[in-house]
Amino acid sequence: MAPSRSPLLHVFLVAPVFYLLAMVGFPILYNVAMSLQDVTLRNLGQLVRPFVGLDNFRELIADPIFRKVFVNSLAFVGVNVAGQVSLGLLAALFFAESFAGAHFLRGLLLATWMLPGLVVGALWKWMFASQYGVVNFVLATLHLIREPVHWLSDPAVAMTSVMIAHVWYIMPFSMILIAAALTAIPQDLYEAAALDGAGPLARFRHVTLPALRPTLLAVACLVTIYSMRAFDMIFALTQGGPLDSSNVLPLLSYQFSFQQFKFGMGAAVGTFAVVFVLAVAVVYVRTLNEDVRA
Amino acid sequence: MTIKKLLAGLAAVACLTASEAMAQKVITLWHPYNAETDMIYYGIRTFNESQKDYRIEARLVPYTQLTAEMIKAVATGTPPDLVTLNDPVVASFASQDQLIDITDRIKDSKVINLSVYFKGPQTSGVWQGRRYSIAREVNTLALYYNADLFRAKGLDPDKPPKTWAEVRAAAEKLTDPAGRVFGIGFCAHASEQSTFQFLPWLWQAGGSINKLDAPEAIEALQFWTDLVQKGYASKDVINQQQNDVTNSFMAGNYAMAVGGPWELPRIQKDAKFDWRVTTLPVKDGKNIQASSLGGFHFAIPKGAKEIDGAFRAIEFMSTPSIFQDGWRSGLMAPRSDVDIKDPLWPKAYAVFREQMKFAIQRGPHPQWPDLSRPIQIAIQEALTGAKPPAQALKEAAQKIQPILAKQPL
Amino acid sequence: MTAVLLPSMSRRTRRVAFSVLGFPGAAIYLFPIYWMLISGFKSSAEIFANPPTFFPRAPSLEAFHSVIVQENIARYLANSVIIAVPVTLLTLALGSIGAYAMSRIRSRLVDLALVMVLLLQVFPEALIATPIFIIFKWVGLLNTFLAVILATTSKTLAFALVILRPMFLQVPSELEDAAHVDGCTRFQAFWRIVLPLMQAPLLVVGAISFAQAYGEFVYPITLLNQQNLQPGSVGIYAFIGAEFADWHRVMAFASIYVLPILALFLLLQRNIVSGLTAGALK
Repeated sequence: MAPSRSPLLHVFLVAPVFYLLAMVGFPILYNVAMSLQDVTLRNLGQLVRPFVGLDNFRELIADPIFRKVFVNSLAFVGVNVAGQVSLGLLAALFFAESFAGAHFLRGLLLATWMLPGLVVGALWKWMFASQYGVVNFVLATLHLIREPVHWLSDPAVAMTSVMIAHVWYIMPFSMILIAAALTAIPQDLYEAAALDGAGPLARFRHVTLPALRPTLLAVACLVTIYSMRAFDMIFALTQGGPLDSSNVLPLLSYQFSFQQFKFGMGAAVGTFAVVFVLAVAVVYVRTLNEDVRA
Repeated sequence: MTIKKLLAGLAAVACLTASEAMAQKVITLWHPYNAETDMIYYGIRTFNESQKDYRIEARLVPYTQLTAEMIKAVATGTPPDLVTLNDPVVASFASQDQLIDITDRIKDSKVINLSVYFKGPQTSGVWQGRRYSIAREVNTLALYYNADLFRAKGLDPDKPPKTWAEVRAAAEKLTDPAGRVFGIGFCAHASEQSTFQFLPWLWQAGGSINKLDAPEAIEALQFWTDLVQKGYASKDVINQQQNDVTNSFMAGNYAMAVGGPWELPRIQKDAKFDWRVTTLPVKDGKNIQASSLGGFHFAIPKGAKEIDGAFRAIEFMSTPSIFQDGWRSGLMAPRSDVDIKDPLWPKAYAVFREQMKFAIQRGPHPQWPDLSRPIQIAIQEALTGAKPPAQALKEAAQKIQPILAKQPL
Repeated sequence: MTAVLLPSMSRRTRRVAFSVLGFPGAAIYLFPIYWMLISGFKSSAEIFANPPTFFPRAPSLEAFHSVIVQENIARYLANSVIIAVPVTLLTLALGSIGAYAMSRIRSRLVDLALVMVLLLQVFPEALIATPIFIIFKWVGLLNTFLAVILATTSKTLAFALVILRPMFLQVPSELEDAAHVDGCTRFQAFWRIVLPLMQAPLLVVGAISFAQAYGEFVYPITLLNQQNLQPGSVGIYAFIGAEFADWHRVMAFASIYVLPILALFLLLQRNIVSGLTAGALK
């Protein structure tokens, strides 16, 4: 029996992880250190700066804008995960039916995901503009609205608009991963279920969904991460406004560091984002392990 | 033997040119000017051609990244020799020792004579009595208007509105929901741009940043709020940057728009109607002419290698001939003694030059971003109807009070 | 496959129904892309016209001409590819060996490594840029493609590990045991037996890594000083200036920018999706 603890395996494991730790670990340590210091433009170029412990974090938690942005991020991530997993699943199921042009259409949908965030933000900014935007134009023409909707200038609506744009942006990515996993489900499982008298819905619940579980979880996890770091698109679309209604953690961190010169605070915000994802990542890995042992 | 001499001669020449090339020092310059007509390209080219000691190598930094890149440069000890910074940000860098003090160089300079600069640029770039930057170009705000729409609504385009009341009345007449026209547009975007656009009105009302909760300041914000609430200005102005406002003006959807001279090249190309400019209005009864001062500054970051060369480049870029080229892209000279011969858009030029006399700078204050942000928030709160102007400004005043107490404007 | 999910209809009717639904549905979903395309043909002012125009009033090639000739988009795209290809190869190499090891070693350490790998992804890129700059300044690789490639791979590698590990888990280790009995070393077993079964997942990961590297923005702008080394993701900002933005050129640029990647995916996606069956279960 091949030893499962062969040295080659350990080399295989260590090489990429070490690479990642160097490339990403150091920057994170750098920033975590910054979040515990009082950093100004004057001492930014040095590594040793006055240590202030958790002061930055305390100031952050006391800041109502931070609390608002944190909640925004949670909502943004939640809606994205739900939206992308469900829409991605629907789309994947739809295109799995091999009708004429299915493959081509599905590939074409990927175009949205390949655009730079700047372009997606700008496009949706124009489409959502109250006055000259296409969305209001179409809705008004169809007599669905009487007054223009202030998609981006009404604080109550702005976040929804940002969510719509982001789900649209990334959904094809989720769709393609789910589509790939769909084709891996063996046909005989379905045939067996059909023989047992299971209707279409039951087959979906008892065959498709369980088989897709690892992939759906992986997609949910990846979408969480990519949503937590969404920056370019939101920056171009609303810049977090109006009144921080569509502001999210990475954007807030950028604003602190590069617009207000408060580097310690910016780093502290980044650290918060990591702590949040820690919870998600742990859940994901635990669930994955269960699948593996099953 | 002739071959030997020939080779020796060639070698000598090669050494000469090599040492010449080696002796030529490189000045690294960071700037955000992507418009190919910008005067910086003309400036760099002629500077490099005019002398052999220095050569400018420019790096085009995307405008949105300029401050961030400078911060990174500070953090990593890799600054360029010369950089163009936006006016209000200079104090933040200067107060933290990140710019070279050029007071004495300017005093001794035979090219730069500050006394002929406009009032605003004379004091901007100064921190605690020492000078750290000098204006590359200046700009200010004026009122663009669509003469065709004026005529269509029975207004005389030769007599543009001169007071707040007249502006409001004109905006009311010009607003045409069926024709998708708003009477007026201005920038209330959540960034420095809204502060830039709002301050003229604050000053025209007799208000000041020191007293944001005073009645004068409230009147200014109320003026803006009324325009939006009555529908003479679009609610979307809180989302529009200055060039977005100009876009709507050029598309014929804003009859009037507050903007700067940098918009002129685009307006000339894309605005297919009789467009005109006039100076900003005054408030009835107050008669204070005021506008904001904007523009970019040349500064030499701390840690720059070629300080002398960089300063020579600054001197070169501050000569009248360069400014003549600047007006092609709507950039104004910071010197009042420079008169553009046969300017493009002569009427607009005259208006902006007139307005420059009343352009007031922002700050300087090392924490200008912290002063500006509460103002931006107050504007957004008032215009979205989240809070009445009085309350929004009161809260803004409370936020900036501790900052001004430590360091007055 | 959805045949088993939907109420019984003749296969042909179902397919026709799906076509009828699919094309308009996709068209609606892709409408913003259409909007991007026509904006490249409009004048800067017309983009903001109210009411919006669904077709340019006077279609002009000026923006495309300027983007291709003056801005030399070809050079930007070439740089994008010069960065993306090595990133893809490096990601596949490190990702496959890492994921393979993670699938074969069952330990807390592996779980921890996986968690960390995921965690590290979420830190705001803007903040990571400065220390990355410091790292590469320290090793003297500033202003080189190599620096950008190494930095970008750290991003795509995390994704690769997360996606590939479950795939490797589906390859039964009995295959390697059999190979070992036949005298293969661990590496030979990996190279000759396991990897070939992973062709399709590796293709997916490769394509997605390529797309991510192609669109990378923060690392090129941080590590590359010269404009002529910048990839398209940075080049597009050349139209967004201090005074105004040339939106029609931005959209023209974006339309061209997206073509190589789109072509890649259109060609490969058939293999990517349907091919996974072959690799995963045997």
